Order: sequence, then C-alpha cells, then structure tokens
Amino acid sequence: MDAATHNISRIINTICPFCGVGCGIGLRVEQEKITGVEPLVSHPVSQGKLCAKGWSTAYAVDPIDRITTPLIKENGTFRPASWDEAYRVITEAFSTTIAQQGADALGVIACARATNEDCYAAQKFARAALGTNNIDHCARICHSPSVAGLRQTLGSGAMTNSINDIEKADLIVVFGCDPTENHSVLGGRIIGAKMAGARLLVIDPRKTRLAQMADLHLQLQLGTNIALINGLLQIIFANGWEATEFLNSRCENEAALRARVAEYPPERVAAITGVPEEKLIAAARIYTEAERALLTYGMGITQYTTGTNNVISISNLALVAGQIGREGTGINPLRGQNNVQGACDMGALPNVFPGYQEVAEPASRARFATHWQRPLPERKGLTSLGMTKEALNGNLRCMLIMGEDPVVTDPDQHHVQRALEALDLLVVIELVMTETAAMADVILPAAAFSEKEGTFTNCERRVQRIAPAIPAPGEAKPDWQILGELAGRLGYHGMAWPNAEAIFNEIATLSPLYQGMSYPRLAKNHGLQWPCNEQAPNGTSLLHSKAFSRGKGRLIPVSHAGPAEMPDEAYPLFFTTTRLHFHYGCGSMTRKSPLLERETPNGVLFINPADAQALAIKPQTKVRISSRRGEVETRAVITDEVPPGTVAMPYHFKEAPSNRLTNTAQDPVTKMPELKACAVRVTNLEAECK
Amino acid sequence: MKRFLLDRIDRLRDHLASQRPLFTPQGNDGSAELNWLPLTRETPPTATGRPRLPTCPAKQFFFPEREILFRFDGNDFKETLPKPTPQILFGVRSCDLCAIAYQDRFFQQDPYYQARRRATLLVGIDCQIPCDGGFCPTVDAGPFVRDGMADLVCHQQQDEGWLLMAQSAEGEALLRGLDLKAAETSRIDQRTRAQQQVIARFPPATHIETGIQRINRAEVPAGQWQALGLQCLACSGCTSLCPTCSCFTSYDRPAADGFERERCWDSCLYDAFQREASGHNPSATAGQRVERFWFHKFSDEYAKTFGRYGCTGCGRCEKTCPGVIGVHSVMKSISAAP
Ligand code: SF4
Ligand code: SF4
Repeated sequence: MDAATHNISRIINTICPFCGVGCGIGLRVEQEKITGVEPLVSHPVSQGKLCAKGWSTAYAVDPIDRITTPLIKENGTFRPASWDEAYRVITEAFSTTIAQQGADALGVIACARATNEDCYAAQKFARAALGTNNIDHCARICHSPSVAGLRQTLGSGAMTNSINDIEKADLIVVFGCDPTENHSVLGGRIIGAKMAGARLLVIDPRKTRLAQMADLHLQLQLGTNIALINGLLQIIFANGWEATEFLNSRCENEAALRARVAEYPPERVAAITGVPEEKLIAAARIYTEAERALLTYGMGITQYTTGTNNVISISNLALVAGQIGREGTGINPLRGQNNVQGACDMGALPNVFPGYQEVAEPASRARFATHWQRPLPERKGLTSLGMTKEALNGNLRCMLIMGEDPVVTDPDQHHVQRALEALDLLVVIELVMTETAAMADVILPAAAFSEKEGTFTNCERRVQRIAPAIPAPGEAKPDWQILGELAGRLGYHGMAWPNAEAIFNEIATLSPLYQGMSYPRLAKNHGLQWPCNEQAPNGTSLLHSKAFSRGKGRLIPVSHAGPAEMPDEAYPLFFTTTRLHFHYGCGSMTRKSPLLERETPNGVLFINPADAQALAIKPQTKVRISSRRGEVETRAVITDEVPPGTVAMPYHFKEAPSNRLTNTAQDPVTKMPELKACAVRVTNLEAECK
Repeated sequence: MKRFLLDRIDRLRDHLASQRPLFTPQGNDGSAELNWLPLTRETPPTATGRPRLPTCPAKQFFFPEREILFRFDGNDFKETLPKPTPQILFGVRSCDLCAIAYQDRFFQQDPYYQARRRATLLVGIDCQIPCDGGFCPTVDAGPFVRDGMADLVCHQQQDEGWLLMAQSAEGEALLRGLDLKAAETSRIDQRTRAQQQVIARFPPATHIETGIQRINRAEVPAGQWQALGLQCLACSGCTSLCPTCSCFTSYDRPAADGFERERCWDSCLYDAFQREASGHNPSATAGQRVERFWFHKFSDEYAKTFGRYGCTGCGRCEKTCPGVIGVHSVMKSISAAP
C-alpha cells in the first residue's frame, strides 16, 4: 500500500477465514501487501457475494500488529527469542512434567480457525508426541451438542444437506439462530428463497431479521426449546400428521417418544413457552405438510445445559415429519467458526481420532498406533473446560493453545484466567497479542490463513483449499510446522512433513470421510463434500438418503428442563449472548477494520423498550450489568428485537466481556457451557450519578 | 480525431503493452473469474462476443481501497503523494468509462486521485451484445463508448475487423509504429446504426424507468424503504463494487515511527456512516440508508451536479447483494408500488 504505485500484481483465490459458510474470496495483492478482496463469482456457495466480515479480510490480515518472532516472558514482560530457545524452554517443561506427573498433566487446545492440516497436527502432537488425549478446541462452546446429539440419533453430527438445498425447499425453518447476522451469505440465500416463494418459519426468542420476514414466528421463552418441540410432536401425533411410512421403515423407538410427548399437550406447552396454541398448531401443520422442509439451527439450540437434548429433540421432529434424507430437507446446524467442522473431522476432540473413530475402540487405537508408530493413550482426555478445572486443581500443569482466545470467548472469564495463571507453562501459538497470549510464558508466531496452504471444511462438509497470497511476516510459520518441530525435539519424528499436502494425504489415508480427496481434486472441483471415497468419488451433497449413518434413525424421548439459572428478585432479567454480523469470535481480526470497529465501538447491551423504560434507560445510556459471577459496563441499545424481560449482549468485545456474566453450568453430556441464558440485574449508571 | 481500420484487436494490445504496463480483465490463475490484472504471456486473447464485466470496476486504479495520505514521525509530516508510472487499462466497457468520468469530477481537487488518473490511458471497447444484468442504455451510459470518455476506442465491425478511434492526442501518439489504414467516414454512420441495433436487443427496463420517476417524485412510501432496509445486511458489497461510489473515511494507524493517516473506502449502508458523536443519526434506520443510496444513484438533483445519474447500469450491485436488494430487485419493488 505504499504511495508509489497501486499496480495490482495478482489476485489469489482462497476461502474466507471467518465463518462456516466458506465463501470464495480473491485476495488482491499489490506490492506484496494484501490490499483488498474480490468476491469469486464462480464459487458454488457464495456466487459473487460476501458479508461485511469477508469484505474486510484485508484489514484482518494487516501485518500491523503481528507477532513476528518467538517471545519468552521474563519478569512479566515479553522479549524476543530464537526458535531454538523457545523450543528448549517448552521441551524442558513438557518433559519434566511428563516425568513427574505423566502426560495427562499436559493439554492441547486446537483451533477451529486453523486449517485441517494444523488441527490434524495438533491432535497427533497431543496423542503421539505427548501421549495424552487432552486435546480439544472451541466446538465445545458452539456445537459439541450437535455432534453428541446427532451422532446418537443419526450417526453423524454434520449438516445433513447442502447450502444449495435452500433453493430446493418449500419451507425453511430457522431455529434459534439468525443466519443473516452470523452466516450472512447463507442467510441471504434464505432471503432469496423466501422472495422466490418458499415459506419461512422462525423459532427464536428474539425478533430477528428473518423473524420479521417470516410467515410464522414462534417467539418462545429463553430455554424452552424442548418443551416447544415436544409440544409440536404431540400435535403431530394427535392429528396423525406424522410420516408413518418413513417412521416404520427408517426409525426406531417411536413408542417411547409418543409416550413422552403425550405429556406435552398444547395448553401446557403454551404456558411453558409463551407461544399461543394456534401458532403451535400452525407450525406443526406447515412443517408436516411441506413437500420439502429444510431446518437449520444455531447456538440458540446448543448453548444450553440442555444442549444435547435440544439437538436430539430437533432430530426427533425432523424424523417424525420425515423431513430428512431428501434434497431440500434435513437438519442443518450452522457452524460458527470457519473450520469448526474440520477441527472435529480431524479429531481435535478428546474422544475421537480423525474421521470420528473412537479412541475407546481398541481397533481404531491399534490402527492409528500402527500408522503413527507410537503406542497411544487409552485414558479419556479432558475437554477444554475440564483442562482449566484440572489446572486449578494442580493436575494439569502445561498447556499449549493454538490460536484461540479462551480468556475472551469462554464462559466465566475469571475462572479461565485463574486456571491459566495456575499453570507451570502456557504456550500460545498466535498471530497477534490476544488476551490469552498476554498470559503465556512462551508465544510462537504463526502464519495467517493468507500465508499458507491448507484446507478448511465448511458447514456443508465441503473441504476447500486455501492458498498463500503473501509470505508470512518475520519468522512466523504454519502451526503444523511448529508442532512438527516441537514433536521432533520431544523425540517423536512422525510429524516431519515437507508440506501441507503431505499432511492432507496422511489424513486421506486415515479418515474414511476424506479418503477420495487430494489437493489436485479439491482444486478442480471448488472443494469436495465428505464422505468422498470409493462409493462416492465426487463427494456427497446429501447424507442419510437411503439409510442413516447408524442404520435406523433413533427417536429419543427428552424432557423439558429450564435454564440452570432463572431470573429472581436479585437478578430479575434473563441474559443471553449474541453475535453481530460485523464481528467474529473474540474480535481480534474483525476489529482491525476501522469501519467494522466504528459500527459498535465498545460493545452494547440490547434491551427491550419496556425494560428500558422501567429503568429510565435511553439510547446510549451507560449501564452496568451484574450477575452472580461478575459485572460489566457498556451502553444500551433499545430494540424490540429482544423480548421484554431479556437482555442480550454480543460477546466480541474485551472492553465489555459478556462472559464475565455467563454461567459455567454445563451440559452433562458434552460439558457445553450455558452461554445462552443466565440471570442478571441492569443498573442505569447515569441515573445513579444524578 | 483520427480513425483507423484494425485487423486484430490484440495486435493493438501487444503494441500498447510494449510501451507501458497494461492491465486487462482476465481470469486469475486461469480460473473462471474476471479481474483487472497485468497482461502476461498467459493472458488469453481479448474476448469478443457476449461481454462480461470484470467483477470489480476500474475505480481501484485511481481511488484505491486503502491509501496512505501522509505520515507523521513525531516531528514532521511526510507527503505521500503517489508518483505512478504511466499505465494502460485495456478493454474498459462504456458503463465503467462513464463511471470513471463521473469520479473524475468528484475527485477533481484530489491530488492522489488525479496523479493516478493522469498517468493512465484508457482503451474502451464497444459492447456488441447486452451483458447479463446490464441496462446502460436506460441511464445513457452505453453500450458504445461515449465521445471523450477514453483515449482509444475499439469497435468491432459487422463485416470484419475493427474500427479504432483515437480520441486524445496521447492515445494517438501511442499508435505510432502500428501499421494501420485510415478508415472512411462512412464507418462512423455504420457504427451509429450498429449501436441502435444493440440497444434494441436489451431486455425492457421499464422497472428502472418507473423507479427513477418514483424516486424523483418522492412517491416511494417510507414503509417500503423500511421493508427493503430489512434486507440490507450492511455488507458494503454494493458500494465496494459500484463504479461510481466514492465515499471514504480516514483513520490514523500506528507506523514504524509515529503514525500514518490512511483513507479507505466507506459505505453509506453502515449505521455509523452518518452517526454523530452524540449518538444522533440522521439516517438511523436501514430503510433510510437504503433510500439515500438509491437517491444518490437516481436523483435528478445529483444529475445536475455530475451531468449524469450516479448509476451507469452495470448491474454489479444486483449480483453481489446477499440480501437481494440490488438495482433490479429494488427498482422492481418500488416500481410495483401503489
Ligand atoms: S458469510 Fe461467512 S464465509 Fe461468507 S463472507 Fe461472511 S464470514 Fe466469510
Ligand atoms: S448502482 Fe448498481 S447498477 Fe448502478 S452503477 Fe452502481 S453497481 Fe452498477
């Protein structure tokens, strides 16, 4: 971007690094700097469109505040160090810990923004180089309940259909998410489908943009998803609207489900959810009447203590209505981060190897042990929340965190901070100085997505290649290379790959889902959707068309349970977290755009006009929000998009970290924290000082 | 100005490229995209037949997405005016040329823009077939290159070969050394007639015409703008790709020593575009912002200042808008209003 000339020298086609939609972008390079973005018109998903985040990619990768050498903390401040010294410090601490306490005193957190190759390297590093299954990533805080729930009912936790199916549906159900904010290009395709004549049913406590366009909006109380779905199922069975033939031939356990949902007659469900009976009946009717109904859901389903059960009930609904296994139907979880699907596929999870092969299965352990030439640990690994808990108990002593910022994004910020402080050694592989990196003992500089080869897997299971546009700054290098070198220092030489493609080939050998893929094939096809193997050489756009991955679709009765913390006298309002179109995760990338930063500079609190009036809050009034765990201050935005009695806050801002307030109460199955509901009190700070 | 007959257009392209760096629309890396990129040995021949616009217009060459305005090192301000090397944009279509002329006016006093613009020679091509989604004739921006909009203009003739028109002294000078025959005057009338035939092939654009009327008569109810505003995701795609959009903001960023002021493309669809420090916003709703955008494109008031509408009919906003409120969608909606 120097002043001399502005000659575009090249444009590199790659994939947007922000969300799970995985849009195609061209990075414009002028004089070895990325100066802008051009949308890819030939990309099958984005078709020449991008959202505000995608358009701002040039800012996100601005070299301005990049970490360019390894850093070691000494007396509280960082000093540059050589790779050799940094590796030595880490190797010594890791080896000592393993000798004293065993490998399970170490933990690795991979990253849902990193490439598949990086995530694969991270789990191989934990399992083969260190000898522990303590490997996780942030799917825990967005979609682990999808994986856990759908694996029980269908046998696979991924989106069942494809983004191109949106235009094939005649009813689109949007459940607990606002794709126009968080997955905007996909959300835009829903708008397009609606305009072309599809019907739209939105189930959300908030009056979202799509809710305002919908044919029917069920504005349920926070945390009453299961009651609502059981209610719909009761209506469906009571009226004989279920897909009998589909249930008989493809599902099991119908009787148990019927018995359970019988406990949820419309009057009771209306009382729990606040949704009038007529609307419940209308929703049950249009969902079962539709020729092809496509259901999509997001974190309004998963971020609850009942997250896994919420997902199971979504699955019950789709199975009973037979709205799955055909084009234009299905259960389609919207993944948050760009590669959260890939991070799961790669086995950056404590319980599975790449391709969801169970660690607990001796046969899969043996297979990986042979291939990796290392005996592999059998002991169950810890989740990321488990790791921070054990750090506080002194059982986990060193951690390696790859490009995640749990200090900002995890629930209960204070807990995470204390846990990281308690460690003997915290190693962070990062691009920039995040809040988490600032707590590290050693920081290793990583290459950004625009500086390396690799693949991302989008929410419709499409594995897509990214390409380097410019070289990495300073001494930064790809995560997989750092991990491989570190593994070598620890005496494990099975990770000395020459390039990212070699890792991908190893993945294709070991994961049946990726078996038929290779870099050249991915390049030729704008990516391939898994499973891609001998049976499906060109990939699979539709899962479960003849049989479910587990055989029969399993109906599992579940019961309503309210959020772990309900409003009371001391904390009278419901609090929920949201995301904004403009920002992404902890904001460390999107907030570098002066334009996006300007939109909502210091975070905001969304409050309903009725609640605002009661507290004499005006637009932009300064407010304090307190929960049993902490408090934050920010400014109010008054909107009827949140219902009365509920306030909402986006989680991207470190100045106003909503996660100081949220509850760490967890889903018992996945340990998913309840980020979507807790109780708070709002104080008008301007009234106080008058 | 002089007129010549030219057998092959790429003979001209090669001749020009031998004198100055030349940029022309092509697929990066052999992909199906179309971007403004430097001519290389791999660049395919100039496409004839149904035209396709490059994804981005040429405005980034003169008004880059990000540009340092000056540096401050703690003591002194350092000027960062560009000193561009002369360059050629080859194969610019009429709509985009009209947009360049529009921005030339807007940035008349802007030394950064003018430095780049003056160093650039424009070679236009007449469109012989309507492009997909374009409606240049409706807004007087094509399909043939308007007089004075380019230094050189190429017109593919119906019988054979090309008519090459030099419209500036600089353009003519660059032709020196190229073996060309002078063209008869009758060729000009043939070209005028050919344009009528091409215009006749454009699909009807009554929705655009009616929409323009409604906007100028303030006949579009606020509620309708609100409904359209609901579909605006504030992505900034339309303003990034619109060849006439010129709004920018500036901000200071830390530099090696001191700071530098960078100016960057802004978008009037952002909430904070007009928000004042007090929090007050004259365009507080998305509906108001969408209305203002289209007012700027189609209002007679702006046409007075700029000599033409702010829309040149390229159709890019329709293609890139994720919320389906590009020019055709919006104009259909407002022209159908009661
Ligand atoms: S929708 Fe997602 S993938 Fe597409 S441009 Fe936006 S952030 Fe990037
Ligand atoms: S308003 Fe749309 S059609 Fe008109 S010039 Fe701009 S991008 Fe092209």
